[in-house]
Amino acid sequence: MRMTLKLIIYGGLIVFAPVLFISVILPWVTISEHPSDIFRSRSILENEGRAVYIENGCTYCHTQFIRSIDWGLGAERVAKSGDYVSEQPHLLGSERTGPDLSQEGGEHPDDWHMAHYINPRYVRPESIMPAFEYLGKEKIRALIAYKQALGFKDADFRIARQRHWKARAVEAYGSGPEKNVEWLHSMVPEPWRHLANPYPTTEAGLRRGHRIYQGFCIGCHGPVGDGMGPAEPYLYPPPLNFTILKDRGVSGGILYYQIMNGITGTAMPYFKRELESEKIWDVGNYVAVAFIGQSDAHGEPRGIDAAYLSPLPGVK
Amino acid sequence: MTALDSVLTSEDYRTVKGFFASSAHWFVLAALAGLFLASAMVAPDFPLYKNVAWLVFSRLRPMHTNMMIFGFVGSALLGSAYYYVPHLTRSPLRSPGMGRAVVWLWNLTVASGTVTLALGYTQSREYAEWVWPVDILLLVVFVLTFCNLLMTVLAREEKLLYVSIWYAFGAMIFTFFIYFFGNAVWNPGTGAITGMPDGILAWFYGHGIVGLFLTPLGVGLAYYVIPIVIRAPLFSHAVSLIGFWTILMFYPHIGTHHLLQTPAPTWLKIIAVTGSIGMLIPVLAVLINLWLTMRGKLGQIHADTGGKFVFAGLVWYLFVCVQGPFQSLPSVQTVTHLTNWVIGHSHIAVFGFAGFIGLGGIYFITPRITGRPLYSNKLADIQYWLVLVGLSGFFLVLTAAGLIQGTGWLYGKTVYVILPELHVYWVWRLGFGVLIVSGAVVGLYNIMRSLYGSGAVGDEQ
Ligand code: HEM
Ligand code: HEM
Repeated sequence: MRMTLKLIIYGGLIVFAPVLFISVILPWVTISEHPSDIFRSRSILENEGRAVYIENGCTYCHTQFIRSIDWGLGAERVAKSGDYVSEQPHLLGSERTGPDLSQEGGEHPDDWHMAHYINPRYVRPESIMPAFEYLGKEKIRALIAYKQALGFKDADFRIARQRHWKARAVEAYGSGPEKNVEWLHSMVPEPWRHLANPYPTTEAGLRRGHRIYQGFCIGCHGPVGDGMGPAEPYLYPPPLNFTILKDRGVSGGILYYQIMNGITGTAMPYFKRELESEKIWDVGNYVAVAFIGQSDAHGEPRGIDAAYLSPLPGVK
Repeated sequence: MTALDSVLTSEDYRTVKGFFASSAHWFVLAALAGLFLASAMVAPDFPLYKNVAWLVFSRLRPMHTNMMIFGFVGSALLGSAYYYVPHLTRSPLRSPGMGRAVVWLWNLTVASGTVTLALGYTQSREYAEWVWPVDILLLVVFVLTFCNLLMTVLAREEKLLYVSIWYAFGAMIFTFFIYFFGNAVWNPGTGAITGMPDGILAWFYGHGIVGLFLTPLGVGLAYYVIPIVIRAPLFSHAVSLIGFWTILMFYPHIGTHHLLQTPAPTWLKIIAVTGSIGMLIPVLAVLINLWLTMRGKLGQIHADTGGKFVFAGLVWYLFVCVQGPFQSLPSVQTVTHLTNWVIGHSHIAVFGFAGFIGLGGIYFITPRITGRPLYSNKLADIQYWLVLVGLSGFFLVLTAAGLIQGTGWLYGKTVYVILPELHVYWVWRLGFGVLIVSGAVVGLYNIMRSLYGSGAVGDEQ
């Protein structure tokens, strides 16, 4: 084959045309653009927030599609083509330096987001996300509106639940520590309330609990557990001051349940996706020992001891 | 020196020089941006960039990638084409004035793209972030370059067109159209279309820009440099033909391998995966052809500064293009997709393959246009080792970090829980980044002195 300019130029164009047709035009016209079950259109404020998301490149660290192999945030619903019918430009993303956000709406209340944008480390101590304080409150509010709409109708449902419980939480907080603690405990199902932490207090366990506390809790509840972490000024109701739990009927089971499940309506998230059982017991006991000053560790009822427990004072 | 040099004065090479000087500058700037990115992933609250809007990681990242792709690598490869197309056709550049104007326009494109990104004006799709006016500037550069080189070739004496020329023209034509469609230039507001089709279009573009802008220009340059360095003809014309036509056929189809885990249509994913594996044909055609050309003459290649860089670039090309088809397999992506593994791949691709060959082009061509040796071969050697060690380390630690992410996620760990495990790898990446930045600075000094200085240092006895 003798290569001539004509051959290269026309040949190139002739190759390009079918490629464009097969790889771009065909999918473009054949993808059926029916909105999915959860789709709804966005409000003006939500769209402004989306523009802020784009301007500041959030898409480089956050994807917006859930895969069938995913765990974690949003994993309850695998992405569908119809979720994207209004996306222009697409924000699918190509890297997960941070978590997927396609179902972020309603995971956290607005005040958590505010603290998080001012400085992510305030609520997530080991995060590497940049601080976005420079955006100013106005733009951050738009961004939060957008975030809270991610997941469309699913998000609306979660937001409604957040609002509902927020009103209760604020009311309880307003009625003083005694009533507040009572309300918090009444939200934990009965069997959990009477459950002691089945594992004994050990030095290793406390060390592990401390490590977890620093990675997950310290931003809100503070280094001494008084609820005065750096996120505190942004959150209402504010993070719990653990010291008020003393002599108010707290149990290992209550702490476990609240860490596992979070307290919807408040900034306290659920940790069941990040912390396995041992970590939750350990951090619960760390809080009980270090801040509350009362621990029911290894109390009754606890059933048969786990096999690994070595003879400690009081171990049968 | 060929016959052409006797009729050309250094005036005629100002386009080439301009591109090379630009490349060296963009390399330093873009590498510094990369260093800031790497630093932000290790120390997000470092006061130097904390809460500085234009230095925030997520604005800096597209500045870094576009400066690298277009500013550093693009300039080096285009500058080289402005040299070898006239030389291979024995026909002086048709319009040196237009060539010089193109250098300025090109720098204006990269600079205005970078500044607008810093200010938050972006179209958000990877490597297509630049806003509409910048897109237009870039397209103008391509049209002017195409016309200028086309007129040059039409006026030629040499009837045979060497492979490098095919690749240069292939790159210009394909880049123009891929850029035009990929950026949805008819839609200035967002530069995008709507829904899943936009994802597909964006990755048609994203892969096209590395595959049909950087790759053919890089391969074309390697085809030019290697035979001259070893003073031997190319092994096979037929194999070059296979490599050329198959790359045009396969590469543009495979963009959807970036979307295998999204709700893109299955048939398109199948085409993309098949095409990605098919990419082994053009890649191996090029590499086998060049390997058989230079077999037994590696000593000669490594005695030449430019040749050495080009050779390393070809080795990276082999790595990239074995890794590429492998990571296109859905089962592999279960672990690697969305992780630092891909960042490792993109660096050995854009920098290892295209960037090394671009640097090789600069070092190979510069003495031939200035008529005197490089300012310092020793400095070029130092740069070679700095960037080679830097990039190799960078690649290894990111691949490791990517596997940690991918396997952890698959097991059910959340993104947040794995972050602390990645820290140490990212510290190493920062360290290797320092080596690359140092290499870029050494290169800038050497290249500027070689292009515009008055002579070589006395380091070559
Ligand atoms: C045989 C050829 C190649 C194949 C089959 C291939 C395949 C791939 C695949 C599958 C990905 C996406 C991985 C993922 O997201 O999980 C990818 C990413 C990438 N490739 Fe390649 N690659 C090839 C060659 C190249 C070359 C030659 C370059 C550059 C000159 C390159 C540059 C990139 C870049 C920059 C990315 C990152 C895109 C992003 O996510 O931002 N690749 N490649
Ligand atoms: C000083 C050396 C460098 C450092 C420290 C560096 C660092 C980085 C960082 C931190 C990212 C973002 C990764 C992420 O989002 O997780 C990135 C992305 C990227 N860099 Fe670099 N880089 C350097 C040199 C280069 C060079 C020399 C090139 C090409 C010539 C290059 C091309 C790219 C590309 C194409 C991406 C996008 C990757 C993707 O989307 O998958 N970088 N770089």
